[in-house]
This record gives sequence, C-alpha cells and structure tokens, in this order.
Amino acid sequence: MSSRTFHTADEEATIALGRELSRELQGAVLLIGDLGAGKTTLTKGIVEGRGAATMHEVSSPTFTLVHQYGDKDPVFHIDLYRLDEEHEVETLGLDDLFAGKSLVLLEWAERFPALLPARRTEIRIEPNEDESRTITLTNIEPR
Amino acid sequence: MALILGIEGSCDETAAAVLSGETTVLSSVVASQLSVHGKYGGVVPELASREHLRSIVPVVREAMQRAAVTFDDLDAIAVTSGPGLAGALLVGLTYAKGIAFSTGKPLITVNHIEGHIHAVVLEARQKGTPVEFPALAMIVSGGHTHMFAASAAGSYQLLGKTRDDAAGEAFDKVGKLLGFGYPGGPVIDKLAPYGNPKAVKFTIAKMKSNPLDFSFSGLKTAVLRWSQANAVDEEVRVRKALLKTDPSPALEQWLAVTPQRTLDVLASFQHTVIEEILNHAEMAAEGLEGIRSIIISGGVACNAGLRLAAAKAGLGVPVHFPSPGLSTDNAVMIAAAAVPKFDRGIFAGMEAAAQPNLTLAN
Repeated sequence: MSSRTFHTADEEATIALGRELSRELQGAVLLIGDLGAGKTTLTKGIVEGRGAATMHEVSSPTFTLVHQYGDKDPVFHIDLYRLDEEHEVETLGLDDLFAGKSLVLLEWAERFPALLPARRTEIRIEPNEDESRTITLTNIEPR
Repeated sequence: MALILGIEGSCDETAAAVLSGETTVLSSVVASQLSVHGKYGGVVPELASREHLRSIVPVVREAMQRAAVTFDDLDAIAVTSGPGLAGALLVGLTYAKGIAFSTGKPLITVNHIEGHIHAVVLEARQKGTPVEFPALAMIVSGGHTHMFAASAAGSYQLLGKTRDDAAGEAFDKVGKLLGFGYPGGPVIDKLAPYGNPKAVKFTIAKMKSNPLDFSFSGLKTAVLRWSQANAVDEEVRVRKALLKTDPSPALEQWLAVTPQRTLDVLASFQHTVIEEILNHAEMAAEGLEGIRSIIISGGVACNAGLRLAAAKAGLGVPVHFPSPGLSTDNAVMIAAAAVPKFDRGIFAGMEAAAQPNLTLAN
C-alpha cells in the first residue's frame, strides 16, 4: 500500500490534478469524500485528461447512477449515493465493469466493501477551511 | 388516427402507455404505481435490466388491457432509446423490437428528454392552449437540468445545462442530509411555505463561459455547512426515527419534528433554486427572438413553489407545465414524442441500439 498526498488550492487546481492523475489511473478508483468535497470536480479533470469528454460534459450521476464518457476507451462514472442495499448495487452489473479494461470511477462505493475488487485505488478528498482540498491517493493491492 | 404504444425504461421506472392520435391517452401504466407491483418486488428502484425485465411484460400487458387494444390494432411501437442506464434501456428497446418484429409494425425510437417536452405539448393541446413555437424548453428533474431553444417541436438547440448536480438532485440531497428521507424534494416543497424564504441568504456562483449553464452543487454544500454549524443531529435523528415508523409522514407529522430554523432553511433553499431556474428562463427567453412560450417539464416541474413563482414572474409569454403525473417519468410522453415521427415516417430498424449518452442537441 502506497499513499501520496496532494494539495489543491481551488476547483480549477482540483480539475488540473485530475488531468494529471488520469494518465496513471486504471481499473476501479474510489472517490471518497463528503457532499461537496469535490468528487465530481476531480472526475471532470480525470475524464478530460483521458480524452473521453470535456469537463463541461461531466455532471453528477447521482440519479442516473452510471455515466459513460467516450466510446472507444470509455470512462465510467458511477455514484451509489442513493442506494442503500447491496442487492441494489449488485443489479448494476459492476462486476462486468471491473472485469473489463475501462477506468471506473466510483462515488460512495466505500459503503459497499464486499462488492469492491481487491485491487483498487482510493482517492480521499478532504475540504479545508478555505477553498483548498487535501487529496490522498492510495493504491490497494490484494493481500 | 395513429394508435401508438409507448414504452419507457431509462432509469428507475418501467412504464407503458397507449396513445390514440395526438392527445387521446387510452392508458398509462407506471410500474411503481401499479398495485400488482408488490408481486414483482415492490417499489425498489429499477436500476438495471433484471428489475425492468421483471416489470416490462406485466406493465405493457396492463397498458394494452386498460386501452382495450391488441398488438394488431397498433400503428407503431415507440420506445426510449436514451439517455439513461444501458441495461435498463436495453430491456425496453429489445421488448419493443420483439413486438415490432412479430407484428410487422414500425418501431420508433424516442429521446427521453424530448419525451419530457412532448408531455407538455400533449397536455397543452388537450387544454386547448397549444404550445406555440419558438419556445424555450426547460427539463428539470433528478437527472437532468437542460434548457433548449425549440424553434419547432422536434428542432432543438441546447442553451445551457447543469455543470454538476441536477436541480432535483439538489432537492433530494438536501432532503436526505436533513433527515427527510430520499428523495426529499416533495417533502421540501410541502414544508417550504412554513419557512421564511429570505431567512438564509444562499448564493449561486455565475457560470463562466456560459451564463445559461447551471450549478447546484455549491448550494447543496452550503446547506450541509449550515447543518454542521447549527447542530441539527438531534432533530435529524428524530426525523429519521419518524420515517422508520411511517415511510410517508403527513405534513403535520413533519411540522412537529422540524424546528422553525430548519423550515427557514428549507424555504430559503427552495427559493434559491426556483429563483435560479426562473432567472435562467428569463435570461434565455430574452435571447430568443420571437419566443412565444416556455415549457418547464421533468420531476421538479411538480414543485408547487416553482409553479407559483413562474406564474408571478411575469415572463411575458405563457409558461406551460405538465400535470404531476406526466412530470415524472412516464410512457405517455414517449408515445407523444413519437407522433410527429410517425407522421413523417421516421422509423428505426432492428439494429437500433440503446444510447446511454444520447443528447437532444449540442
């Protein structure tokens, strides 16, 4: 397990960090943080960095649950906020997505640990008193 | 008079409806509202193919029976092809193709967002006050906040959309974080008249690059910050306990467990969202030459506060809302959006695919 910590001064810096991280991210990536922490904001940068869509095309998937950006090398943006039960999550077919090669960004997925792949990346976003954010990236390997 | 079966299944709902001509709704069935739905698993959101698969046959059958028509009587089968959840869309589309193939009737694919617009077009016709074009069409729901210029029904240009949260999503998240359950939009609407809409000043940042875009994420966060600064844990706990004993409490029950300061926040929050929606409508309308009406559709169009404010706003042209039943996802709107396509012979082939990212206009 290795962790790296980043500081971003504002929304634009968080998007820029997403662009930068987009090159190294792969597989399942959990975006962890409270409401308004900036999970969708970071996603804007990641999706744009991968060339899957522009940042303005990225919006919250809370209601729709799954947003797919791009066709050839798609990025999936998933939000489990409004789901409470594991069996609800299971119907989404996340296993198929995890088994594929696509980048899968997940919000509120830490609430369903049993459904997550052993190998994954966790990105924690913590808002500070000002507009800045502390962002910690951890790669988790199967034991 | 064309007889069209509409099938909708883009996200949480499976729905079917039969429409005769442009305005005669022979039936409209929505799975979660179907009394027999208990048999099929209750009102669990139909997130993916499995749930839609369970509902689609009984829902379509019910719609056909209520309309007292057979598949052979139909002139076309219309179905939502996007945007939405891939697995959900696929079930409706595949089922519609099956009916079209076996009966030899044409298949018409419909954009879900265009459906919301046509729900309004249909009802305005029924009332004898048809929507006149060019029109401004706003779709405000849990999943969408989009604003289009419609030079005619079927011809759209995207003017603005949300950069982050949809308007309905902001309602639902604020409702949840304050202990009103999920989705909390309808409860907030009911309680807002009991609070002071000017009590808490919320601000929404102006969007750079496109002032007609929306952003509701910051507002949601502002309510979260308010709740953290005002120690609402105890009242939230009481409301959650209430929800456990009664999944849909009456207004009096909610009022009994909601202090004035929280009513004020709900009222202020709702006021801010409504003002944002109507300000955008006004701004967009000013830029549309010869505009003759405004359409507001989608789940948030149910909001009584929004309807009231729109009536008072003096927008200069008639503002059309759908009835509550056609505001949220339904299949009448899908059949209605298919009528002009039927008239012009725009049919889909058996190769039609589900399009989770389908846009109405760029």
